[in-house]
Amino acid sequence: MNASPRSGLFSAWQLRRRADVPVWLDLLARLAAIALALLLVGIVLKLSGLDPLALGRKALAQTLGSAYGLQQALILATPLAMTGLAVALGMRMRLWNIGAEGQLYLGAFFATALALFVEGPPGVMLVLMFFAGALGGAVWVLVPALLRAYWNINEIITTLLLNFVSMLLVTHFAIGPWRDTGASILSATRRLPYEIPVLGNSYLTAGVFIPVILALLLNLILQNTRWGYEVRVIGGSRGVAEFAGIPVLRHILLVMLFSGALAGLAGMIEVSATAHRLSGTISNNYGYMGIIVAALANGSPVGVLIAAFWLAVLLNAGIVLQTSGLSVSAMLAINGVILIFAAVGEVASQYRLVRRDMAAASEPATSGAGREAEPVLVSSQDMEPIPPAEKSPR
Amino acid sequence: MTPAPGTVCVEMRGIWKHFPGVVANHDIDLDLRHGEVHALLGENGAGKSTLMNILSGIYQPDAGYIRLNGQIVHFRSPAQAIACGIGMVHQHFRLVEMLTAAENIHLGWNDTPWRITAQALARRTLDYCAEFGLHVDPNARIWQLSTGEQQRVEILRVLARGARVLILDEPTSVLTPNEAEELFRVIQGLAASGRSVVLITHKLDEVLAASDCVTVLRNGRVVAHSRTSACDQRSLANQLIGQEFVSRLHRREQAPGELVLDMRQVCALNDRGLPALRNLSLHLREGEILGIAGVAGNGQSELAEVLSGLRRIDKGSIKVDGADLTRSTPVGFVNAGVGHIPEDRLGMGLVSVFTITDNAILRKYKFPPIARGLRIDGRAASSYSQNIVARSDVKTPSLKTLVRQLSGGNQQRLLAGREMQVASRLLIAVHPTQGLDVGATEEVRRVLMEHRNNGSAVLLISEDLDEILIMSDRIAVIYNGEIAGEFDAAQAKRAEIGLLMGGARPSREAA
Repeated sequence: MNASPRSGLFSAWQLRRRADVPVWLDLLARLAAIALALLLVGIVLKLSGLDPLALGRKALAQTLGSAYGLQQALILATPLAMTGLAVALGMRMRLWNIGAEGQLYLGAFFATALALFVEGPPGVMLVLMFFAGALGGAVWVLVPALLRAYWNINEIITTLLLNFVSMLLVTHFAIGPWRDTGASILSATRRLPYEIPVLGNSYLTAGVFIPVILALLLNLILQNTRWGYEVRVIGGSRGVAEFAGIPVLRHILLVMLFSGALAGLAGMIEVSATAHRLSGTISNNYGYMGIIVAALANGSPVGVLIAAFWLAVLLNAGIVLQTSGLSVSAMLAINGVILIFAAVGEVASQYRLVRRDMAAASEPATSGAGREAEPVLVSSQDMEPIPPAEKSPR
Repeated sequence: MTPAPGTVCVEMRGIWKHFPGVVANHDIDLDLRHGEVHALLGENGAGKSTLMNILSGIYQPDAGYIRLNGQIVHFRSPAQAIACGIGMVHQHFRLVEMLTAAENIHLGWNDTPWRITAQALARRTLDYCAEFGLHVDPNARIWQLSTGEQQRVEILRVLARGARVLILDEPTSVLTPNEAEELFRVIQGLAASGRSVVLITHKLDEVLAASDCVTVLRNGRVVAHSRTSACDQRSLANQLIGQEFVSRLHRREQAPGELVLDMRQVCALNDRGLPALRNLSLHLREGEILGIAGVAGNGQSELAEVLSGLRRIDKGSIKVDGADLTRSTPVGFVNAGVGHIPEDRLGMGLVSVFTITDNAILRKYKFPPIARGLRIDGRAASSYSQNIVARSDVKTPSLKTLVRQLSGGNQQRLLAGREMQVASRLLIAVHPTQGLDVGATEEVRRVLMEHRNNGSAVLLISEDLDEILIMSDRIAVIYNGEIAGEFDAAQAKRAEIGLLMGGARPSREAA
């Protein structure tokens, strides 16, 4: 018989899910997690003979500490925020758009095609390219969206696989038919004649405003419109949505198309504000990093802006540190550690530690009436077993 | 070792089990003896299933211990419990539908031979059938079996693993009266062979018919323990609900008004594409409650879905106030004044991660004043929600509270309140008090009765025959997708309804 009475240190404590996580606690948990991660990284650096404090100071100075560094962070944050928004929108309906990468390529592709082969006044052309980029992203997600909505085929697989197709498609055009023959560049198109205007005397373009405006707009739509309400109901419970007669399939289709359009716009901004040429490397994994951004932001559009900026600072700090003798792999490992800690911190803030023996004894004995007065703190996603509702079968 | 009948085999001492906000088991002591049928009686939510889930290793107690034949045991999983001879048959069967009875019995079991053939499994299964006096076709697939036969597979599964303590969780809730009687005979046989049987139930007559001793639980505590021979219906009922309970239901005497629901010859399929409703006709007038009695799975869910636009009908017609809603949508039914309290509170009725307000406006967000063009007016939404909360007496700290933080009773009141706002003509209530404690149950019934008194029609679908008898003006029995009989509630006889629920042919004069 391997069953034995439980004893020991760990049995004395248990995790209890919080009913409500206050914002300050969530922030505190994330900051504490990042601090812990930095401490861990610092110890490792110290042990390998480097000076973590000096490195940290240098990284900070060259990212958040200088105008140049800040601008670089914002430039990098722009596509991350766009793909982050794309993924976050899908998350609201429990759809996983893993194809932001591919949709970004297609958005860049459509915008480039327009810029290379149509001539017009720059203002008009940029607006047209904007819509072409959105259309490109939407077109690329159309097939996965239809498959998901009407045949219930997992969108994670389909969107992911299409990423490779779109990357190869763009590479083909960039080194083939559309290659810049006038310069010695072998793997990109010529410089696009239309550019998003630069802001004053800076490296930034007006493109940095696009994710901000779209995030606020998305937030407004989700929170304050009938359509947004329906999307949230579907995300909250598909059964309830069907019960209320909300056209679930149509919303799946629309949300996926919008998600693709947002990712496509990231591509349009990259070719018309940052890279200026279409190449097979137009995306530096922005689509995949958008998944990280959306997850860190927990699907909140405004949270995506913060998470994207933060990730951009982290990535740029990594580049800075590479100039100080850290290898690329070490840098990736450090970024990974920090991101994992941040993610764990977010989850950890949802729980608190309670003593096991206190848990049972401290609970006041409730009568039927008393139990009604006190809210039952139960979560549908709780790992705890469902409380003793003795349901009859159906 | 075959201990003498009457000696204690399981001792549970000081068992506490706490779920967020609820004490499901409050310092419970329980003794099970060899050769005895022990009834565990209690209302829904009294903590019976929780206690037995602890004994069978599904939950771990927060405090307290279990002794099995004198030795302290601590089960971390059902597998450990069954290895020690304690097995449970759950209310919701845990069988693989696509596999045969024999395969299900041998699934996930170390004693299953390493090399197996269908014949070998069938032979072993037949041996077990003979040994325990339970008969199933070993080669039938689970989905082809009736619920009673499926239950036998579950019981065989547990007995084959050598269970000396057999726990049955509300075993008769899925059975017809005849099947239940047969089950009781099997139980007596098992007890006679020295096994200890726990019968979880909330039905008094079952306790009296099938058990040797009875423990009554209320609100997570043991309130009484006695030999069954020393009990009667009345004493058990008093222990079951407690003395403080007085019903406050007020049924206003009123003649039914205009015809509201006119449903004729409706046929519909269930999710598996099999006929669920067969030429079913119902009519319902203003100010009356029509109770639909029946054993689960005879078309009740489909009936409710058909009457709220959630399920397509293949034949027949549905009219509300004379307007044809045969091909209408959920929104169409809402617009016609039909509300629906679904059986699956959190799967269909409420979004648990939404606030009270976001849940309250589910039926009205498309209409002014909550809808303003494409926008949703937050202030109008709050005041609409406030109104529902106040009317249905939902106890909550704020309208921004998430529904998952409310107790089951408050969730149900919110849901009922929301649907009654829409149900100016007809309210469909499916198992509205399922899983609620006595106080919340009474509250929900009172609200439904008030709705009827105010002149709306109410279709009450419930598995609880007592609820049907208390609430209804008329009673219809559903069996196999058909109305097997219809009664005026004043003249309804429990026995006759019970017969029809079990599939007896309707007597002509009752129809």
